[in-house]
Amino acid sequence: MEENKKQKSQALVEITDFGPLKITGNFTVKDLKRDKEDSAGEIWLCRCGRSENKPYCDGSHKK
Amino acid sequence: MERDDKKFSGGRKYRNDEITVYWKPSSCVHASYCYRELVEVFDPGRRPWIDMTGSTTDNIIDIVNLCPTDALSWKWNNDEKNAEISEDQLNHVKFRRPELMDTNEAAPQETPVSVKIMVDGPIVIKGNLTLSNNGTLKEVQESIISICRCGASDHQPHCDGQHRKIGFIG
Repeated sequence: MEENKKQKSQALVEITDFGPLKITGNFTVKDLKRDKEDSAGEIWLCRCGRSENKPYCDGSHKK
Repeated sequence: MERDDKKFSGGRKYRNDEITVYWKPSSCVHASYCYRELVEVFDPGRRPWIDMTGSTTDNIIDIVNLCPTDALSWKWNNDEKNAEISEDQLNHVKFRRPELMDTNEAAPQETPVSVKIMVDGPIVIKGNLTLSNNGTLKEVQESIISICRCGASDHQPHCDGQHRKIGFIG
């Protein structure tokens, strides 16, 4: 079909300045390393590589 | 803006949250009720010439129903409402262009965005989302973005494969 459906944005993905990745809205998280799934409405994911609580941010980027 | 001027067979369609208006230019006899009555929506001098944000759904339906041909027709985005349409809705697709009735115009899909934390690698995000970077918003539809998690990418915020070179574990 040539018809395209307008897709509604489901989640907001924010690259915070020198900080974590913030995701809010309708999303699911699958952590393949720790084999965990999460469907919280808001998460902060580490982008600096130094968090002790990966994949989540623990503020280590500020240190 | 919830404007949608996508093509369909024989014309274009325009959509707001509630209805879709179909335009079939080959049927237009220039009776001009549409732009004389509601130029905020139907403006032949503008591109796209139909702006679904220009008035209320009720007003748009009233004007589309004035069209003497099937050049303009409309239907609800909600199929259940289309099923119970009454005959006073002259230019509803059901009466004017029944061939368009069975095209599936269900509400936009609300599939959750998929976020995957790759083993010792990036965050891979897939779906319909809004990406905010330095305060700039960008709509991302059905594509995949890969966000650096090791901090070493030279193409921040995106992954460029550096995690392998630095031996990122996490």
